[in-house]
Amino acid sequence: MSISVDVSGDKKQVRLKISGRFDFSLHNEFRKAYKDIGITGGEYIVDLGTTEYLDSSALGMLLLLKEHAESESSKVRIINSSGEILEILHIASFDKLFTLA
Amino acid sequence: MSAKVTVLIVDDDLTNRLVLRAILKETGFEMLEAENGEQAIEIFDRVRIDIVLLDVMMPVMDGYQAAKLIKTRSTRFIPIIFLTALTDEKALARCIEAGGDDFLTKPYNHIILRAKIDALLRINDLYKKISIQNEELNKHNIRIQQEINVAKKVFGNVLNPDIKDSVTGLRYSMSSMSIFNGDMILADRNKTDGMDVLISDFTGHGLSAAIGSIPVADIFYTMTRKGFSFTETLAEINNKLYKLLPTQMFMAAALISIDRENNVVSVVNCGLPDLHMIRGTEIIKELKSQNIPLGIVKQTPDKFDVEMQSIQYEDRILAATDGIMEAENRQGELYGKERILDSVRFAKKPDHLFDKILNDCLEFSKETEQSDDITLLELCHLKHVKYQIKNDVQQMMKPAEWSMQFSLDIDSLRNFDILPYIMQGVNGLQSIPNGRSTVHTILTEIFANALDHGVLGLDSNMKTTPDGYMNFYMEKNQRLETIEEGNIQIILNHETKETGGGRLTIYVCDSGPGFDFSKSQVSMENNEGFSGRGLAMIKHLCTEVKFLGKGNAIMATYEWG
Repeated sequence: MSISVDVSGDKKQVRLKISGRFDFSLHNEFRKAYKDIGITGGEYIVDLGTTEYLDSSALGMLLLLKEHAESESSKVRIINSSGEILEILHIASFDKLFTLA
Repeated sequence: MSAKVTVLIVDDDLTNRLVLRAILKETGFEMLEAENGEQAIEIFDRVRIDIVLLDVMMPVMDGYQAAKLIKTRSTRFIPIIFLTALTDEKALARCIEAGGDDFLTKPYNHIILRAKIDALLRINDLYKKISIQNEELNKHNIRIQQEINVAKKVFGNVLNPDIKDSVTGLRYSMSSMSIFNGDMILADRNKTDGMDVLISDFTGHGLSAAIGSIPVADIFYTMTRKGFSFTETLAEINNKLYKLLPTQMFMAAALISIDRENNVVSVVNCGLPDLHMIRGTEIIKELKSQNIPLGIVKQTPDKFDVEMQSIQYEDRILAATDGIMEAENRQGELYGKERILDSVRFAKKPDHLFDKILNDCLEFSKETEQSDDITLLELCHLKHVKYQIKNDVQQMMKPAEWSMQFSLDIDSLRNFDILPYIMQGVNGLQSIPNGRSTVHTILTEIFANALDHGVLGLDSNMKTTPDGYMNFYMEKNQRLETIEEGNIQIILNHETKETGGGRLTIYVCDSGPGFDFSKSQVSMENNEGFSGRGLAMIKHLCTEVKFLGKGNAIMATYEWG
């Protein structure tokens, strides 16, 4: 499991791609990945395309990201989720809290 | 190494011992000598030895035997180096077999001997560190276990399992540690005489996941009992959790409310896996999560998506937390929704559903330790689910710690019968199985003694004849009307017993002159007369009765359970 971070040239878009299991073991790494970038009025894109598994602590981490993003007037978009991952996001009604695409 | 190293040299040959001493002189080791195995053991038992240099062939007890004894007697690691003139491989192998850690053949090579000793002492050091760490780990484990036990007790009290167990039609399975997985099931009677049932799952594990269950249970029971609707209860729980929990924590939950007046079941699913409504063995409705889990955003009662369905007698609802979906087998596969549906499809009878789902999942995950996480709930015969009253006691209440105190002046004593109020208070606080009337009797007798003999100063010898009995009560009423001063203090204190049940201590003190209780001998055997029964009865019913002060105070202890 790993997280890759891509920041766009204009610092308006941060792409966080999570591979493998997205669970509590990623807690620190995930926070570190976005905490000090400092974008304003931009967008965080969480790419779950290569995520194999997502548990409730990962949902909690997404909420933390959302809180962080809102504090800098940015948004969070979750992309490429499919199958069971998408189902978990739907069960938690995360479609009402995030943009799912 | 911080402490001085003590070496035990065991050889029957004085020259050999001197040679070894000479070789090791520079090391500064403490050196002790033995001439044979027996002496070596004797020293070993007395002195803390760090390493043994052991000759093989010796009179009285040879090196093999000594090595075996040393290894069996020591609880720590004590390196043994065999010193031997033997070069035959079998003999050398025997040294290791006997418990030797290394061997050195004579004549000694100084450098090799020193090197071997150093190497073994280093291993010795490692062993010491590991055993210290082990000890610390053990201590930690014990402390954590104790904390878990305390926490389990606290949560057990809060979640009030007695209530769940008094609901007919409710079946559930959750591990005793489930609260630490963040899972919880609550049930209570709602205003329609049906039931409200909450099944929930906090994010995360451990105590932090469990902590939120306390306010949730508190709000659930309080509001349901007061007749609030389930959406009002849910909104209150949600808003409390929203205020209380850190951002990343929330609670997935489903509330099932059975309305017995209209025969309707309402389900609000906030982030739990699909609930299933089943008629016979057919799934008639999938109740998908349509709400955000609780504690994430503020909610008002009207914001919840509620699924309503009219019910028939044989209908049932199945609900589970995600533990069952996420149960893993040894290959790391997840149990998943389809397998649960398969269990439903292949259940032969409706009443087998619950067990089938549970057993199929346990079978699937039996080689892993996931089974602890499974929380499964079934409400069957929906139309008849109800709260069952147990043992004539309105509500089972676990032994608790409480006390109450009453202070009565003469006017209260004259005009007011306090006992029913005390009993009401006791019953409200505590179920005492089969003990209510006993407590009432004890209280009545003690109180009567305090009033009659203490405050009013009546002599019970008046009661020795049938007429006297009547006179006594007439006199009592008269004195009660005319007396100007007097008071009675009553203190009830209830504590839990470690063995279960409780201990009620009743303390009553009156303003009377008291009496010489050292001379008072009463027993039920002396029961023919008209008096003296009260005290004998109290003594018979209580585990302990003590008079205090000048005889104007009594302390009686009643134990139950």
